[in-house]
Amino acid sequence: MPERQNNRALLWATAAFAGGLALHVDRLPAWVSAAAIVLTVWRLAAARSRVPLPGLIARAVLAGVVVIAVVARFHTLNGLAAGTALLVLMTALKLLETHRRRDRLVLVGAGLFLLLAACLDRQSLPRAPLYIGETWLACTALAVIASDRLPGRAALVLAGRTLLLALPLAVLLFLFFPRLAGSFWAVPRNDEAVTGLSDTMTPGSIGKLTTSYETAFRARFEDELPPTEQRYWRGPVLHRFDGSTWSAGSADWQPRQPREFLGRAYHYRIALEPSRHRWWFALDTPARSPDPGVALTRDYELLAARPVTQPTSFEALSYLATRQAAPLAQWERPEDLFVPPGRNPRSLELARELRAQSGSDAAFVNAALGFLRAGGFVYSLEPEKLGTEQVDDFLFRTRTGFCGHYASAFTVLMRAGGVPARVVTGYLGGEWNPVGGYLVVRQSDAHAWVEVWLEGRGWTRVDPTAVVAPERLLRGAYDLLPEAMSASTRLLRGSPWLVHMLQSWDAANAWWNERVVKFDAVSQIDLLERLGVRSPDAWALGWAFVLALLGWLALIAWHMSAAARPPRPDPLARAYARLCRKLARTGLVRAPYQGPLAYAEALRAGYPALAAGAYSLLERYAHLRYGPPEPATRARDIEAFRRAVARLSPRR
Amino acid sequence: MRVPFAAIARTRMAVWVRRRQGEDALPVTLARRRLYILPTRAGLAFGALWIMMLLAALNYGNSLALFFTFLLAGFALVAMHDCHRNLLGVTLVSVSAPAMFARGAGALALTLENPAARARPGVEAALDDAPPTGVDLAPHGRGRLELPLRPARRGIVRIDRLRLTSAHPFGLFRTWTWAHLPIEVLVYPHPHGSLPRPITSGPHPGESSRDGSGLDEWMGLKLFREGDSPRQVDWKAYAREAPLMVKEYSPAGADLCLFDFAQLRIPDVEARLSQLARWVVDAEAGGERYGLVLPGVELAPNRGPEHRHRCLAALALYGTEAAPHRA
Repeated sequence: MPERQNNRALLWATAAFAGGLALHVDRLPAWVSAAAIVLTVWRLAAARSRVPLPGLIARAVLAGVVVIAVVARFHTLNGLAAGTALLVLMTALKLLETHRRRDRLVLVGAGLFLLLAACLDRQSLPRAPLYIGETWLACTALAVIASDRLPGRAALVLAGRTLLLALPLAVLLFLFFPRLAGSFWAVPRNDEAVTGLSDTMTPGSIGKLTTSYETAFRARFEDELPPTEQRYWRGPVLHRFDGSTWSAGSADWQPRQPREFLGRAYHYRIALEPSRHRWWFALDTPARSPDPGVALTRDYELLAARPVTQPTSFEALSYLATRQAAPLAQWERPEDLFVPPGRNPRSLELARELRAQSGSDAAFVNAALGFLRAGGFVYSLEPEKLGTEQVDDFLFRTRTGFCGHYASAFTVLMRAGGVPARVVTGYLGGEWNPVGGYLVVRQSDAHAWVEVWLEGRGWTRVDPTAVVAPERLLRGAYDLLPEAMSASTRLLRGSPWLVHMLQSWDAANAWWNERVVKFDAVSQIDLLERLGVRSPDAWALGWAFVLALLGWLALIAWHMSAAARPPRPDPLARAYARLCRKLARTGLVRAPYQGPLAYAEALRAGYPALAAGAYSLLERYAHLRYGPPEPATRARDIEAFRRAVARLSPRR
Repeated sequence: MRVPFAAIARTRMAVWVRRRQGEDALPVTLARRRLYILPTRAGLAFGALWIMMLLAALNYGNSLALFFTFLLAGFALVAMHDCHRNLLGVTLVSVSAPAMFARGAGALALTLENPAARARPGVEAALDDAPPTGVDLAPHGRGRLELPLRPARRGIVRIDRLRLTSAHPFGLFRTWTWAHLPIEVLVYPHPHGSLPRPITSGPHPGESSRDGSGLDEWMGLKLFREGDSPRQVDWKAYAREAPLMVKEYSPAGADLCLFDFAQLRIPDVEARLSQLARWVVDAEAGGERYGLVLPGVELAPNRGPEHRHRCLAALALYGTEAAPHRA
């Protein structure tokens, strides 16, 4: 019997560990999860039947293999990904030698550590319930390990109740526990890329992004939104072209050329989703750097010192139009005029022809756009594969392509015609979320356009895609190319109700990222200020923390004593108790074993002189309590009884 | 020479606690003032883990990690409160200490009462620092606990103090109290020895049962107890509204023995007492009548559980009257 009970505790402890593992299973290398699952199943099989467990030497060898395998995969044991993998594997091995209570507690501890690692990795709203579930599981496992007799369901209830009571404290501590402004030790970087724009582009690369419905960032404007066709969000600017791939320029260290900002200023706030890239996106063209850790580059990109691994938000200022009167810097010109020599001869020929026919650079730009407009070009997500002479093949044969194809080909034409040009990648558009009051820009809004250098105007945006598919300016690629959507997304977007639900969900996520995930030392001071503390500082925060803690302790003490208090007796019982107290003054106290009638009998025998009302009251009580129910008059009868008891004054 | 600091500290502590709480008398209600609570090993490990989590979460400025760290802090605090509350108000109603044999397995039976409307799972008790045994108390319920006791020597064993404890609900904390009750357990000598029983060694060697009447010897009446044969019930007396009585006879032909301490040829006193205890136990089991003669004590031949207890108690207390020892 005790063996079976131990199995139960083992099962719950294993569940706490497996729950922690489940939080990481989509990030861990598949072999790590598989190995952990195999080891877990092995241990559970050994608990149920006579499957042998490995001996000490086998376990030591396995541990060695695990360490070597993790180092081989991650080239380190430090860092979140490698540390998590190592923790998972080592705990799974520990499971094989889990026999005693202490070992089972180690499993629960590992589960909690995996929870911590999962929080450090991802903090999005949809994952929060998973984390709560894991906490609950671990606490339940603690209860089962502590008591062999506790049934699983009771343990779940117990742990759930305890966590609910703990919740107010968790919230108070979250708000008032003093946060660190810096950090004790350096935060290891996790540069594993997820979806998002990268710093290189091939004509087809953006098309792949377009199938992703993931949010890239959200933008909340202070007052007016920029016009729909002007919502270009600036990302990496690409100068170098090797015939197939565009990449960043070579002169990033060069100074930024001053520009004149025209038109109205747009103040807004951007909330970036983690992209693990260093780009911060802003409305074209950002006028200043939003953060000391972010550079406004010579190409007016926002480039952070660290990759965006957590939700990040910033205040930005942009203007839709700029002018640069100064001539193009000497070092800039050769790079932005470069075309790979000997490649794409027909395109170069076309460019030279068009330039010869045009009177100015601006006219040449228009002529090239006219070529695209008249040439029967098609905007499509699934273009034919291009040959080695990509630009020639696209401009003269396939004539179907996506923004990347148009931007790439157009830039080559411009350069071949002697106009400095470059590719700008970023996003175009954004969906208005009426629930949250912000624009959602998704990966599917990824876009590429061109900037050409025009004397007297400076770098000027030209979007060749807009010539071929003018609707793209007004709607997302998603709506333009329904084949890009998955069937489920199409279904979702088909129903206004579902769209509203999705928007509400997105707004909840935005709130979560802004208010919960981004809550820090500065937000704490803001909170105190809003609570009415004048010029709050760390001391005020400390006091708030202490007060919150004391308040919660009082609350818990009150709750627990309330739970322990017996329920208040009903009015009839209270009146009866009062009657007995009054009658006790005669000297004959009702014994606990005496019912009302027995007590009346005893009184009659002991004090015959007592007011006859006393006996009749006891009989009335017995009738009300134990007699047949009369629902219509019962409440009135009880009230009458209560009054009669109040009037009674027994005399000896 | 190694100084046993731990043992000294423990003794000092026990003395201090006894002075602080005073002597107890039944029923003992576990009030707030006498309940102590400390984290268990598991609780300390949990605390260490928690500090690591807090440092990591603070360092990374990670809101969600901080939240869950704080949730676990609240969890531990509520667990502590719950643990303390699980014992608070529990009443030790009775302690029964039946006599037992030295070197035999015996138990101290405790009755605990839960006056509250909530259940109290995992209430445990132990003899001082021995491993505890547990019971779950239902709302307004009572529970019985048996604390195993294996006294090494005969005589009176005084139970110095009882420990009532609980680690419910999560095993992170353990709350406990000590009850200082005047509990004394009578320990019979270990029944041991291989000498044959001296049959018919008494002054009346079996005459009474051979008087030819064919009837068993009338011994008297005793109160009816479960298991007594209905044929021996004194139904006539019962018809006169007397309580249910049983007529007792000594079986015809039963031997009469007298066990005499002075006549035994065993040099060691304890071994001699053990031999006598062996005889008493065997004679009682065999349904014989037996008497016991010790220096200063003489018990006339008789039988029955009462008599057996009187004999064994006399053996247990032989020469030790004034000095009960501690378990």
